[in-house]
Amino acid sequence: MVDVGSLALVIGLVLALYAVGMSLAGAYWRKRDFIASAEHAALAVWGLVTIAVAALMHALVTHDFSLEYVAHYTSSTLPLQYVIAALWGGQAGSLLFWLFILTSMTAVVLLQNRERNRELMPYVTAVLMIVAIFFLAMLNFITPPFQRLAFTPAEGQDLNPLLQNYWMTIHPPSLYIGYVGCAIPFAFAMGALVTGKLGDQWIRTTRRWTLLAWFFLSMGNLFGAQWAYLVLGWGGYWAWDPVENAAFLPWLTCTAFLHSVMIQEKKNMLKVWNMVLVILTFALTIFGTFLTRSGVISSVHSFTQSGLGPFFIGFLGATLVVSIGLLIWRLPQLKSENELDSVLSRESTFLLNNLILVGIAFAVFWGTVFPVISEAVRGIKITVGPPFFNKVNAPLGLVLLFLTGVGPVIAWRRASARNLQKNFLMPVSLGLLVGIILFASGVRHYYAIISFCLCAFVLTTIVMEFHRGIRARQAMVGENSLTALLHLIGKNRRRYGGYIIHLGVVMIFLAITGTSAFKVEKQITVKPGDTFPMGRYTLRYDGVKSHETPHIAYLTADVAILDHGRQIDTLRPEKRFYKKPQQPTTEVAIRSTVGADLYLVLGSYDEASKMATIQAYINPLVGWMWWGGVVLALGTLVTIVPSRAPARAPAYAPSRGPQAVATE
Amino acid sequence: MNRKARFVVAAFLLAGAVGYLMYSGVRQTAVYYFTINEFLAQKESLANEGIRVAGRVELGSVAKKMTPMGEELNFRLGEFKTDGSNDGTVPVHFVGIAPDMFKAAGGSDVIVEGKYRDGMIYAQSLLTSCPSKYEAETAKP
Repeated sequence: MVDVGSLALVIGLVLALYAVGMSLAGAYWRKRDFIASAEHAALAVWGLVTIAVAALMHALVTHDFSLEYVAHYTSSTLPLQYVIAALWGGQAGSLLFWLFILTSMTAVVLLQNRERNRELMPYVTAVLMIVAIFFLAMLNFITPPFQRLAFTPAEGQDLNPLLQNYWMTIHPPSLYIGYVGCAIPFAFAMGALVTGKLGDQWIRTTRRWTLLAWFFLSMGNLFGAQWAYLVLGWGGYWAWDPVENAAFLPWLTCTAFLHSVMIQEKKNMLKVWNMVLVILTFALTIFGTFLTRSGVISSVHSFTQSGLGPFFIGFLGATLVVSIGLLIWRLPQLKSENELDSVLSRESTFLLNNLILVGIAFAVFWGTVFPVISEAVRGIKITVGPPFFNKVNAPLGLVLLFLTGVGPVIAWRRASARNLQKNFLMPVSLGLLVGIILFASGVRHYYAIISFCLCAFVLTTIVMEFHRGIRARQAMVGENSLTALLHLIGKNRRRYGGYIIHLGVVMIFLAITGTSAFKVEKQITVKPGDTFPMGRYTLRYDGVKSHETPHIAYLTADVAILDHGRQIDTLRPEKRFYKKPQQPTTEVAIRSTVGADLYLVLGSYDEASKMATIQAYINPLVGWMWWGGVVLALGTLVTIVPSRAPARAPAYAPSRGPQAVATE
Repeated sequence: MNRKARFVVAAFLLAGAVGYLMYSGVRQTAVYYFTINEFLAQKESLANEGIRVAGRVELGSVAKKMTPMGEELNFRLGEFKTDGSNDGTVPVHFVGIAPDMFKAAGGSDVIVEGKYRDGMIYAQSLLTSCPSKYEAETAKP
């Protein structure tokens, strides 16, 4: 199996090269059979990569420790789900997994477009296969996943215990799907630039792909936050770690792109800007993979330090030079057909939203690479920590939240006084009311007050939109409210799906505000029987128990939660000692309510004195982040699932809209 | 054109705002990052500056005491070669909870962040770097 796997990667590389050559030659000399052959080769690459993945998976599951990768990241006592997760737990495996997702998506794109976008497709195939070649080259020459060890160890070194967690098993795949998904719109954009078919057809074709990529990027980030919250045991979920930033950056530009394409579709504006965003997003996904895999910036995530850096930087540089070059070459054909009419319009709101998102991306990028730049320029490594990111992003994030409320309801072109009054009087009043109530009840954290005001403002605009739609349907067709709501959403999925996503965003903002403004933190050393106050509860430490399995030894503290002297719950924060890589980990205990999480960590334990140090946190509203994520996922689902027949037809029509026809 | 100019001005204002936020953010939060030897060479000029120092804990130098505030740790930080020798060390004081990977016997690779005062680093945070066995330390050429 192992030899089959490495052979598959070699043949895959050859066929991918062949596919690039044939599709470009076919497009140049207009040879249909060349192009068809290239597409078949690309499908074969997918098949070969699948074989390689299956071979590595087989080696993992059968504990073939003669393979370096298997011996490095698994052991015979590792539970099966983590053995499978080890496929993306290490360097070579995760690059192979990346490639597997890329070639699978390429296969889907090829099958979807057998009859459509024929002029773009050779270039789409070529671009996707060039990306595949880059990863295939690394897998063949730099980090071969099927490397044999000189001797076969009796036992493997096991997966890092920090990765032995449910969220960590699903976080990397969803992030990778998100990363790789961004390659599809990029490939179509390049095809559009080369062929000069610069209408919005490429955007319509890739709209679902972009949404899918965005969805998985969002989920990947949230799963990562959830993992950090549950596993790292420092009471928070986001540390502005370089690798977190690497996943956040393409999300920001992808979000900007999703908004600005609406302006291109509706008004034929911002074409150059959209190209820039697509290129930037793709480049940032490669940069993200590079940051995660090269360890160039020291980080808790840099499980690897290897020679991948120059290859990634070279590929990134070549991608940027070629794509920006193409963009400049096509600049004359990308003129806007309309101009912005007024500052008070939906167009300019969207533009501002884009500028802020890109501004945040720039600040985060700068803060992430700052140590490297300062070292190169001044010879001293200067780092900026979470305070930098929070200081810069808090005001920008609040403006963004404000625009989330304004954008969907302000009029196109030019907002009239009537439009403003009709849509904003109520939300602004409610927002201010929330602010006054908070201030009157003694809250003096001004960022938090502003944020809660804005949350109320945005929430009201969304509720009003739904309310209006439902009332209109009831007046016209006389349905009951629930049916009207469902039909409303079903008839205009993009619009109402978008509102639902915004609702999720508001919930996430609530959580971020609650945890960053009102977090309570306490560290205390206690002996059995001691009590201490924590928020509205009293906590009593009842001592420590221990037990063991072949894989892990556990040390569990019992902490009783008392509410006015009555015990309402027991939390059991834990220390675990993994036996294979001899390493302790912390298992937090959390009591979640709608208002706040009580979060306990067993910091340290002294056997002789039976004393334990306990870290306790109260994280207000943090649960809203995870539920916000669920709402966001639902909203995306509503937006992404094709509507029934009538609305579906346009998306599948070969070339649609006057713009597409005009440029052909 | 006038309208266009207004948008250009707005974009510049926004870029300026982001730029200012970043500039003041760096000014207020930047921390110097040194390896232990870089730090030892210029430690006296760094008194009361925010610093991060990466080094290795001297074997057998860790003194641990439970206090109501958490563990109080005192240890010496240096760069230790395979034979155990070093080019000098600096004492570190830390109160809090040591990370899981911090070995009481010493020998952990750590990053301490805090301030240097009166010949000692008062660390506000203590991080352990991941041990090399989790890294793919050799990418075969």
